[in-house]
Amino acid sequence: MYNQIIIDNFSNPQHTGNLELADYEIEIGNPVCGDRIKIQLLTHDNFIDKAVFKAWGCATSIATANIFCDSVCGQPINSITQRSAEHLAQMLGELEPSQHHCLHILTQLHEKLAALLKAGVV
Amino acid sequence: MKTEHISGYFDYNATTPISDEVAKSMISAIGQFANPSSSNNYSQLAKTVVSHARENVAKLLNVKAPNIFFTSGGTEANNWAIKGVLSKHSDQPGHIITSAIEHASVHDPIKYCIQQLGYEVTYLKPDSSGAINVADLKGAIRANTQLISVMYANNETGVIQPISAIAKIAHEHSIPMHVDAVQLVGKQHLDVTALNVDYLSLSAHKFYGPKGIGCLYIKDISSIDPLIHGGGQESAMRSGTENVMAIAGLSKAAEEAQQAIEQWNKEYWSYKQHMIALLNAAPIKVKFNGATNYIDALPNTLNITIEGIRAEALAARMEMLHHTIISIGSACSNNKTKKASHVLTAMGLNEVDIQASIRVSFGRFTSLSAIEMFVQALVAETQVLLSISESGICKSN
Repeated sequence: MYNQIIIDNFSNPQHTGNLELADYEIEIGNPVCGDRIKIQLLTHDNFIDKAVFKAWGCATSIATANIFCDSVCGQPINSITQRSAEHLAQMLGELEPSQHHCLHILTQLHEKLAALLKAGVV
Repeated sequence: MKTEHISGYFDYNATTPISDEVAKSMISAIGQFANPSSSNNYSQLAKTVVSHARENVAKLLNVKAPNIFFTSGGTEANNWAIKGVLSKHSDQPGHIITSAIEHASVHDPIKYCIQQLGYEVTYLKPDSSGAINVADLKGAIRANTQLISVMYANNETGVIQPISAIAKIAHEHSIPMHVDAVQLVGKQHLDVTALNVDYLSLSAHKFYGPKGIGCLYIKDISSIDPLIHGGGQESAMRSGTENVMAIAGLSKAAEEAQQAIEQWNKEYWSYKQHMIALLNAAPIKVKFNGATNYIDALPNTLNITIEGIRAEALAARMEMLHHTIISIGSACSNNKTKKASHVLTAMGLNEVDIQASIRVSFGRFTSLSAIEMFVQALVAETQVLLSISESGICKSN
């Protein structure tokens, strides 16, 4: 069963799409279950203006991509990488054991963004 | 039964709704408190319910009533047939033949017999049609083969196995034969006497009866060890006070199936043909796994690969947005493992196709309009998922 956060974000994702020009692009995949997510971010004055995703995966992983995009919109980009593990877990709500890989996906998305910022990739 | 409440239920191979008549017969039996095995006046009514049920099940299978033994369901019946036959040979454990596409309630007791008792096993693989090959079975027989256990119809694909031919070969070699007929009973006419198998399992909840009740047909009780020792019920083969209410439900389910099976069968087949036609005409790419014709597969089951989607996501959208239930061939188990259908794997499907596969199974409470609404929803949700997944994003899988 899915919690309400996952249901809302999976059944009606608001951030699907593609950007012709993105400031940041994050792509992750899970070699075991095959989930793949691509996130594109558009920034202005170090704030995230727009976040979109494309995903191929289970319901929870698609919901995770939408939750990530929704959570970063309008936020200063540096603040996103400061989120704690508890904060990330709360973003997804209570998950069943078979859905726990999505917390890993969310963590990976934050780690990849942090790595891009550190490397100064724009 | 208010069928509109379950019009989105397309998982009849997992379990079926209890019919109104079955529910009535169970409610009526709940008052039969007496122990059917006692000899007092109160017990007579309960005893009649049990013996009447045995007659009804025997009639459905075309066998004699004393050869029907009630169990808690298909899993128990399968376990009993396998362990009960093989325990007769425990001093000289030999060889078992089964298929690679059996239900876990056959595979796991066989695995137990291999690991704990020293038996050897040959797993016969199906071809792409989903059926095992009779020549492969012939070739697998050894001098010490002590049991052949093959399912009648596969739960995931609905593909019917060549049971009659296998039974003939088994008897030519004097090898006992068990058939897990859980998915076939109640969907297709079955004459177990003509089939001439030694053991056959069925489960009530697969054909509109209650959960927790099934039976094992045993041709010759001297060929198998009792399952439960105790008070001597079920001819001392499966002791324990009978579950009269569940038995009453099975009885009515068997009676209803006996009377209506031809009609159900025809309806299911017309729905299946309609669904195939609608899917083939839809603007999505589908592939049917295994045989889909009337002779080689159950008329109520379709296993479908839908190109470009993850079945898990499709099933979730169907349930969340259309209250429609389907079954899937592969699921995330956790971050390190996944559970892929052993049936589709044995049929040679690749990982991406298995992840994109769904099972659709319908039944007597399904209507033609429900089939049409189902396909409409399936196509719409497939298109949503295709739009979410960027072209090529899943290529690396």
